Amino acid sequence: MPNTMLDPVTHRYAEALFCLARDEGVFDAVRADVERLGREVNADGVGDFFFDARVSIETRREKMHALTKTMHPFVQNFVNLLFDKRREEVLRGLAEAFKAMALEEAGAAEGVVESARPLGAAEIAELEAGLGKKLGKRLSLENRIRPELLGGVRVIVGSKMVDHSLLGRLDGLKKGLLNAPLPSLAEA
Amino acid sequence: MDLRPAEVTSILENEIKDYQGDKSMQSVGTVLTVGDGVARVWGLDDCMMNELLEFSGGVRGVALNLEEDNVGCVLLGDTTKVKEGDQVKTTGRIISVPTGRALLGRVVNGLGDPIDGRGPLGVSDEDYRPIEQPAPSVVERQPVDTPLQTGIKAIDAMIPIGRGQRELIIGDRQTGKSALLIDTILSQKTTGGGDPDNPDQVLCIYVAMGQKQSTVVDVVQRLEAAGAMAYTIVVSASAIDEASMQFLAAYAGCAMGERFRDEGRDVVIMYDDLYKQALAYRQVMLLLRRPPGREAFPGDVFNLHSRLLERAARLADNAPEINPRYAKGGGSLTALPVVETQENDVSAYIPTNVISITDGQIFLEGTLFNAGIRPAVNAGISVSRVGGAAQTPGMKKIAGGMRLDLAQYRELKAFAQFGSDLDAATQKTLARGERLTEILKQGQYVPMPFEEQIMIIYVGTSGALDDIDVSRVQEFEKTFLQHMADSAPEVAEEIRSSKKLSDEGKAAIDKAVAALKPQFLS
Repeated sequence: MPNTMLDPVTHRYAEALFCLARDEGVFDAVRADVERLGREVNADGVGDFFFDARVSIETRREKMHALTKTMHPFVQNFVNLLFDKRREEVLRGLAEAFKAMALEEAGAAEGVVESARPLGAAEIAELEAGLGKKLGKRLSLENRIRPELLGGVRVIVGSKMVDHSLLGRLDGLKKGLLNAPLPSLAEA
Repeated sequence: MDLRPAEVTSILENEIKDYQGDKSMQSVGTVLTVGDGVARVWGLDDCMMNELLEFSGGVRGVALNLEEDNVGCVLLGDTTKVKEGDQVKTTGRIISVPTGRALLGRVVNGLGDPIDGRGPLGVSDEDYRPIEQPAPSVVERQPVDTPLQTGIKAIDAMIPIGRGQRELIIGDRQTGKSALLIDTILSQKTTGGGDPDNPDQVLCIYVAMGQKQSTVVDVVQRLEAAGAMAYTIVVSASAIDEASMQFLAAYAGCAMGERFRDEGRDVVIMYDDLYKQALAYRQVMLLLRRPPGREAFPGDVFNLHSRLLERAARLADNAPEINPRYAKGGGSLTALPVVETQENDVSAYIPTNVISITDGQIFLEGTLFNAGIRPAVNAGISVSRVGGAAQTPGMKKIAGGMRLDLAQYRELKAFAQFGSDLDAATQKTLARGERLTEILKQGQYVPMPFEEQIMIIYVGTSGALDDIDVSRVQEFEKTFLQHMADSAPEVAEEIRSSKKLSDEGKAAIDKAVAALKPQFLS
């Protein structure tokens, strides 16, 4: 689950690149390049260099060119455009925005399944199929271990949550107990 | 509060036996920023406007801004328990409060939770009502035609309030605005003997917003001492509560009043005060980044008050046939909002807004208050736009003369200050005005029954007091009313039943005045 609000500027640039790649039929190539670019830019040290105002813009542009020269021409042009418009910051969230759009386009969704112990592949597949049907999307779930759940599973897809964990049920029970009026007080 | 362990065990048993976990899909979000009583939340795709949200620390909030990629909400509890990154859940419930009989006699906060230390309310889920409700439509209403007696001579005689009306009480600080409200609550005891189950009893709701805690305690003690709490609900969102609670309390109180109104009861609700409520609303809205307008209030500050006051209404007798939402027709909700002015400036933003929404205003003035005229009602600029139709015929006839006498008096008084050579007619008008002003003075917490008001105002307008010394008029009033109660109680009884003063009644009063007057003429 992406935990940050997407910057609207990032979203707009990413959407333009996405639509162009899709309409020109070079989607897979561009997607692979964008993913690689995202990994490189967000790697330790690299990002700091690219977004550091103390490094001259020419130097940054040169280094970026070295990185993108093997990539698809669209991606190269895109990066050049960003530098021209002084919107280098867009590179940070680009991969994430691109991925979200690709998932949306394919009618798929990614989510997290939290459980107290590791789940088997078959269990995850079953959850994916069942919940995917309910959400109307092809679901792919990542297993995350949360021992405090005690038992059961909790699935989070985007802003939807299905809580079947023991922790959630105990919380619900606690709330129910606190709200139940005591008979002796009702009499008084 | 003592707990019985056996009881707790039995509740546990029941809860465990019937426990159904919430297996449905929930909408969740993540706190992006939190501070100053507001939070921004990412996610919450299906969030509704005004929906109650639940934060992971158990703190509750209300969604007020639904934006493209986040939800702005106000927090209703301990804001220090909410951290960035916390999970937020929707509850599927629009913010609602408990209503009904169980609340009478209680002091609750803006969410309807009791704060008087007398245990839970013991209400069921069906007793909860959303705090925001549409006002009754045109066909569901009927004109205001029944008086609401405040027990204050100056108001009942000259600025009558009808049931279902909205009458603004406006004035500077320390001019007796809240005192007027308390008197009105105390006076309602005469309608049904103070028994909340008597259908004639007018029920009262006092909403204190941004008031000092000590003021609220004082009000509650006053009401309790007079036996008026039995038919009253006090909703308190005092100065230490979150700003969000302070502006929501008005709607919460209104929802409680509507419940009774829809059941055919007469209710009077007092908002003390709407200026502080608007300040609380401004604070929250600025923090939620809504664009500020005049005096930095948000653009919808007029609607904030108009949608609240529109809910005051007198329901038509056949309202349940038109809309099944009403259990019984004929009920009413009378609103008495208070607005505090600065330096008598009624042309400031909030006062003008509320003046234009309400059906009239009672203007209390500091100079009158300091001159000893209490209640300090400025009869010249106070009006009641619909109350005239609701005034009882007896009062209407007698008070009409007084209003004229007082208007002439006010006009001449300004001139009389310049010269001493006044003709006899002028002197007579001045003398009459002085004595009528004296009659309209009234102590705090002593509401006067309607029949006594009629009798003493009749005496004043008949001119019988013109030769009594001004300083002895109040003493005469007291002696006269005592005399009437002792020697001719049938006059008061007759006014009570027929709602007017008959010729025989007038003769009896004239006789009593003639008998008492000599001892005051010395």
